[in-house]
Amino acid sequence: MTARPAAGFRDFLKMLLLLELWVGLWVTLKNQFRPHITVEYPRERVELSPRFRGVPRLRFHPENGEELCIACHLCETVCPDDCIHIVSEKKPDGKGKRLVSFEINYERCCFCGLCVDPCPTKPLTAIYMSHDYEMADFKREGFVAPLKVLLNGVDPKDYKE
Amino acid sequence: MDRQALIQTLVIPAAQILAVVLVLPLVIAYLQLVERKVLGFMQVRLAPRRVGWHGLLQPIADAVKLLIKEDTVPEKSDRFLFTLAPVVTVIPALASLAVIPFAAEPFHVFGYEVNPFITDINVALLYLLAISSLGIYGVILGGWASNSKYSLLGALRSSAQMISYEVPLGFAIIGVMMLAGSASMVEIVNAQKAAGVWYVLPQILGFFCYFIAAVAETNRVPFDLPEAEAELVAGFHTEYSGMKFALFFLAEYTNMIVVSSIVTILFFGGWLRPFPNAAALAFLENGWLLFVPLVAGGFLGWLADQKLGGGLRLMFAGGIAGAALGFLIARSDVLGLAGLQVPAVSGVFWFSLKVSFFLFMYIWFRGTYPRYRYDQLMALGWKWLIPLSILNVIGTGLMILITG
Amino acid sequence: MFRTEEMDINMGPQHPSTHGVLRLKLTLEGEEVVDVRPVIGYLHRGVEKLSEHRTYPMIEPLTDRLDYVAAISENLGYCGAVEKLMGLHVPPRAQYIRVVLAELQRIASHLLWLGTHALDLGAMTVFFYTFREREMILDLFEAFCGARLTYNSMRIGGLYEDVPQGWTDRVRHFIGIFPSREKEYEDLLTVNRIWLGRTRGVGVLKPEDAVGLGVSGPTLRASGVDYDVRRAQPYSSYDQFEFDVPVGKNGDTYDRYIVRMEEMRQSCRIIRQALDRLPEGDVRAKVPKYIKPPAGEVYHVVESPRGEQGFYIVHKSGEMPYRMRFRAPSFVNLQALPVMCRGRLIADIVAVIGSIDIVLGDVDR
Repeated sequence: MTARPAAGFRDFLKMLLLLELWVGLWVTLKNQFRPHITVEYPRERVELSPRFRGVPRLRFHPENGEELCIACHLCETVCPDDCIHIVSEKKPDGKGKRLVSFEINYERCCFCGLCVDPCPTKPLTAIYMSHDYEMADFKREGFVAPLKVLLNGVDPKDYKE
Repeated sequence: MDRQALIQTLVIPAAQILAVVLVLPLVIAYLQLVERKVLGFMQVRLAPRRVGWHGLLQPIADAVKLLIKEDTVPEKSDRFLFTLAPVVTVIPALASLAVIPFAAEPFHVFGYEVNPFITDINVALLYLLAISSLGIYGVILGGWASNSKYSLLGALRSSAQMISYEVPLGFAIIGVMMLAGSASMVEIVNAQKAAGVWYVLPQILGFFCYFIAAVAETNRVPFDLPEAEAELVAGFHTEYSGMKFALFFLAEYTNMIVVSSIVTILFFGGWLRPFPNAAALAFLENGWLLFVPLVAGGFLGWLADQKLGGGLRLMFAGGIAGAALGFLIARSDVLGLAGLQVPAVSGVFWFSLKVSFFLFMYIWFRGTYPRYRYDQLMALGWKWLIPLSILNVIGTGLMILITG
Repeated sequence: MFRTEEMDINMGPQHPSTHGVLRLKLTLEGEEVVDVRPVIGYLHRGVEKLSEHRTYPMIEPLTDRLDYVAAISENLGYCGAVEKLMGLHVPPRAQYIRVVLAELQRIASHLLWLGTHALDLGAMTVFFYTFREREMILDLFEAFCGARLTYNSMRIGGLYEDVPQGWTDRVRHFIGIFPSREKEYEDLLTVNRIWLGRTRGVGVLKPEDAVGLGVSGPTLRASGVDYDVRRAQPYSSYDQFEFDVPVGKNGDTYDRYIVRMEEMRQSCRIIRQALDRLPEGDVRAKVPKYIKPPAGEVYHVVESPRGEQGFYIVHKSGEMPYRMRFRAPSFVNLQALPVMCRGRLIADIVAVIGSIDIVLGDVDR
């Protein structure tokens, strides 16, 4: 534990010369030589780590371009905020189901990533946490993302001056 | 009265006053930008950069914002006093600038002699003490008229603090007055020139007391408790907005400049160069020869720093290199620039350099220290500064007695 | 004769230094505080009730939002409680990584506390320095779980994923440079006479009062009571690490400051040990897809940066808890505020609020 200042001649001298106040000034002066840590946000962005959890999205298979989602409704079940809404139908050939619509209500979403956890299309999950995080909008309708937006994403807004 | 005398006694002082009053808000606006920049760099962040090139137009934007902002008056406030308070605060602050000499040597405009100060009265120090005490009225009125408890508490703290610190402030000045034998600002500097030494050396205790008391008097960190934002939201000006707030702001920064100027004049030889009588350093009269390369070097270094995103290493390196270069130029006079010296310009240069240093100290303190508590502040003022400053007066008297 | 009157003043819920939406009704005699009455509930979201309608994995994101400054400690406590209820054994690697995360979170939380505490007392710059270091920790968390504040970093039975490649080296790098940075804060504050004046002897909490009020965490230890859940009831293999529990003497604001500063150093020590001995293996126990614990009740406590964070679950049947109760350390510690503040000055209230380090999300739940 850091010692409390004790009485004594040296400490008295230290007190008289305001030593610790000079040390404090030195620290702030020294820090001027450190690189600044803030970024000018719209102009420059911080680098996101690969696991960053942004807006949840759906994805195609990277090779054959097919929808990965098998409409198992697991993400809908596990979502703590009830923000996922799936409508599915039986495939015409009888095997499995396919999506009719898939909506995520971003007004409710809390970005917890629980929907990715049970997704059965391993190793590449159909639903994933994308790296988009700019989702401000003027209309509430803009927060309900239909299947098309979920698959293709939205063009990033450009905030350049 | 002939035309000549009319111009000398009326037009020129009016022009001087106008110059000070017009230039001052601009200086303060940019002082505030500098404060934000310096604080920003101390706090490892980028200071304002959006408005204008590296934020150079930020003060203008701020001023426009304050001007066009809605000027709210709380419903239950005392309207008249509420409006009066900022005016009462800002007038003494501006009035105290009247006796600050920026340099000594007069210069000539259209054949008329113009002094680089508004007036030189022989009781300048007393005038300053008297005028600066008046500023408290504005603070008390503002706090009381807002009819808000936080404002009232801030105003009470403020008045107690400013009245307490008037005393050590006055005592600390007495030592200088005894040494110089005058209360006129110009005379005090001239006495320092005659003595060949800045008064900070014989008056180190006085300087110490004065500077601390002055920081407290201007309500700056670490004595900023009247407006302690963590406790009292904003103290006495909590309810103020728009231009009225701007006036309080103007008064605070004017007071900072005035106090720094007084420290410079009383203890650091005003417009005198270092070692004012050492002939070997006469080239320092050409202060701007040092200053221009210093600023240029520092600025280039700073630009490079901003590009590279590092700290301020290159800025300091550039500044030092520039200063060394300027020193060489001034010393050897290779470019024959020594003949270009104008005493008034040189004086203003040294004066503003010193004032800038003290203003930087203000900002530096703000970036470093926590805030005193109300009772501790009082204890510091009454138990330490006042005895110390009285001791200083006695010591100075004894010194004068011994040395004759 | 002069007549003096007591003045009632309302501090908060919108006030720069009540750290959220805490409202204090102060009775003042001049600058002196006669009485303090905290008014809480401005951030009440009914998390306990909400939990009764969610399955166990769904509750974890809610715990993030209790004590949002130290969400990982909440995750750890909650997952621990459910695991205890289910009788799950968490793999050792997951336990060690949880310890690393929890201790990093402790440092991050204490850094935020230090910055805001110093800001309340007027030392603005410390805030930026502590946030610089906190940012490094948040980057580590982002690399691990993808979020920077509400992590949802654990799963019942372990972790969602193992740490990413190179993560442990980044943690090592951080705990390598952190002590020198902490030295800088100490240079700015610990011996500074203004800081000493503002904190020493301010807001003294006697040990018997502290115990009587149920105060926990650094606030309790600063009063001289040597109690740390990590040592008293070890969880997540804390018993395998060596660390000191700093204890104060006087129970004043300065002691609480010193205790937390020392805790950050001890956290570095724990992290270093955990990284050195990090076992190999799985990070998630075998957990059924639908978590249906046996009926029963369980109480599990962890040492969050603010104190004893307890989770009490009553389970009857199905996938959802019958009753969920969080013991919020901030809520309990806040009770000690009037005791500490009576008879002091207004400026001391700010210092004391800062020093008990409350998070309103935790207080109001």
